[in-house]
Amino acid sequence: MTDPATYDIIVIGGGTAGCVVAARASEDPSRRVLLIEDGPDPRPIPDVVADPKRQSELILESPYVRMYDVERPDGSSFPLLSGRIMGGGSSVNNLAVVRPMARDFETWSAYGGPDWSYDALLPLMRAIEADPDFGDSPLHGADGPLHLHRGYHLDDPADPPVRALIRAAGDLGLPLCHDLNVPAPYGVCASPYNLKDGRRQSTAVAYLEPARQRPNLTIRADTMVTRVLLEDRRAAGVETRSSDGELLQVRAPRVVLAAGVFHSPQVLMLSGIGPEEELASLGIAPRVPLSGVGSGYQDHAVVYVTFQGTTDLRETYVIPKVRLIAKSDPSRDVPDLHVFMRPSIRMEGMPPLLPVSLHLLEQRTTGRVRLASADPSDLPIVEPALLEHPDDVAALLGGFELVRRLTAHPALGAFYGPLLTPAPDTDPADHIRESYITYYHGVGTCRIGPADDDGAVVDPRLRVHGVEGLWVADASVLPTVPHANTNLAAILIGEIAARELSAG
Amino acid sequence: MKLDGTIDIAAPAATVWAVIIEPTDLAACVPGVRDVRRIDDRTFEGGVRASVGPIDGDFEFRSVLTRAEFPSDLVVEVEGTDSVTKSRVVAHIEAALVESGPAATTLRYRAVVTTKGRLAIIGEMVLRATAGMMIGQVTRCLRARLEAPTS
Ligand SMILES: Cc1cc2nc3c(=O)[nH]c(=O)nc-3n(C[C@H](O)[C@H](O)[C@H](O)COP(=O)(O)OP(=O)(O)OC[C@H]3O[C@@H](n4cnc5c(N)ncnc54)[C@H](O)[C@@H]3O)c2cc1C
Repeated sequence: MTDPATYDIIVIGGGTAGCVVAARASEDPSRRVLLIEDGPDPRPIPDVVADPKRQSELILESPYVRMYDVERPDGSSFPLLSGRIMGGGSSVNNLAVVRPMARDFETWSAYGGPDWSYDALLPLMRAIEADPDFGDSPLHGADGPLHLHRGYHLDDPADPPVRALIRAAGDLGLPLCHDLNVPAPYGVCASPYNLKDGRRQSTAVAYLEPARQRPNLTIRADTMVTRVLLEDRRAAGVETRSSDGELLQVRAPRVVLAAGVFHSPQVLMLSGIGPEEELASLGIAPRVPLSGVGSGYQDHAVVYVTFQGTTDLRETYVIPKVRLIAKSDPSRDVPDLHVFMRPSIRMEGMPPLLPVSLHLLEQRTTGRVRLASADPSDLPIVEPALLEHPDDVAALLGGFELVRRLTAHPALGAFYGPLLTPAPDTDPADHIRESYITYYHGVGTCRIGPADDDGAVVDPRLRVHGVEGLWVADASVLPTVPHANTNLAAILIGEIAARELSAG
Repeated sequence: MKLDGTIDIAAPAATVWAVIIEPTDLAACVPGVRDVRRIDDRTFEGGVRASVGPIDGDFEFRSVLTRAEFPSDLVVEVEGTDSVTKSRVVAHIEAALVESGPAATTLRYRAVVTTKGRLAIIGEMVLRATAGMMIGQVTRCLRARLEAPTS
């Protein structure tokens, strides 16, 4: 069946970036914009989504999270996650608002040219945010759609364990970092969150909500895009499947794919755009050979180190007051670690256990996302290839040493007892390889690069190579994982895509 | 998740064996296990209560001794569900005893634990964090029960 309505722009995926694209693109009343989201669009937004105090329930119990089973080389597995609700990742994530570092833009410029430099993108970064602490300064914005909230500033009074962390880190040479959204943040940082009046500011709230009343914006939730319609090498619309299984073709001359790092490559491959042999082996007729689709995956590996505690630690999991932005090796110029104190684990008959999490902000290898089958409802297979480079393991070992020194400091030593995991008589590198999970910061599966770059899927203006009228606009276009959480980067991509659509 | 290791106990292998194949005896040595119910001579059920930050959960399990050939072939299958996410956790545990003297036994164990469902998001971190301490407490308990007091 074909939808009788036609549109100028179809946005596939109402996630972090997709909501930004749909909201910005529909600012021009002459454009008819259709936003299609696979997940639901519950309104009013359920409390479990809006209230960060219910984050554990949101992740562990709600229907708004997809889980992808990922194997480590030793055969054990761990889950990767994505949001399946309007707002995508920004509706289920931990709300941290962290800009990529200047160094990331420098790296991305090597793939995307000068338009991807820090200076070129600073005006957009400022336009995104409403930062009540640092807004209206050369680095920050005061009246953008995305509200930032710092519940804690480094000079505020804090619980004794947080004060102890700040002291111990200071004595180890980590400076105070009041604003982590500077070009080169480093040290003990106050963490900003996407929060306003205690409610989550997903892009469904910050961007889409004010645009919903526009007559030129149509929103279709609970609807999966099964493929992009191609005529010759031009995008002509999409095929959708509603939750009751009905297939519908919807036509538009411009299609923006914003289905996220796992599903944007999936939709491309289902449309016949991707590595020829892989498509053919699944019975999909290759239409546009593009070997980079699905390759280039990068993420942040996370490892937990656990100590016996002398007390319970109530520092919240979702919005810890401070994070350390640290270096695995003091001679490095760019910090490569986030370090967090985590709340205690209690089990009857045992003293409290205190985990510390180490987050490696780089990946020296690349993984991939593959189709499990030609059925759009089968989740793709993710092979993140994390920690396959010895230097990545070495960096986490450096982080482990830092945590050891921190917890041995007299201030923190009052809370952290003996090290339990990794067991002191074992090789910490084994613990790292056997137990890593991720920060849920996947990027790179439709990455930017020039047409003669085999791994590139989109050009620096986010247009899919070899296809007219098709853009990718989400975290999948980032060529390397930033030294930061990725939600703000995805918002930035949404803003860039909207600007490109306006440019014609 | 895989766990393996050894526990040395200053007692004859037959004495150690008698305790580790008796469900309620063994359960009494595992910290935090409560409401132990002996179903038959190979099966027991029980529960564990744990909390991670704001999350409080009960874990109900059934443990079945599926092979018991003295001294080197003991297999236990544990299966359970947590109260928060209703995820399924399955553990396959193998153990063997090696007698290294008249009153000296090494217990070798190997366990593979798999979690199916949302609990996998935090479950493995909690298991890894608690496993070492739990095994340490089991070791102390077995020793206290089985080793002759030294004067
Ligand atoms: C649990 C968790 C915690 C995180 N914490 C943080 C944090 O604190 N701070 C931070 O900066 N980052 C965090 N992140 C990462 C961040 O949220 C993501 O990088 C970001 O959401 C990516 O945005 P995106 O637009 O690329 O994709 P997404 O937000 O994933 O959007 C993709 C959308 O497309 C939809 N979709 C997929 N396939 C189809 C289809 N075929 N048809 C129609 N729609 C489709 C999806 O349902 C989804 O809504 C976290 C992520 C997770 C999962």
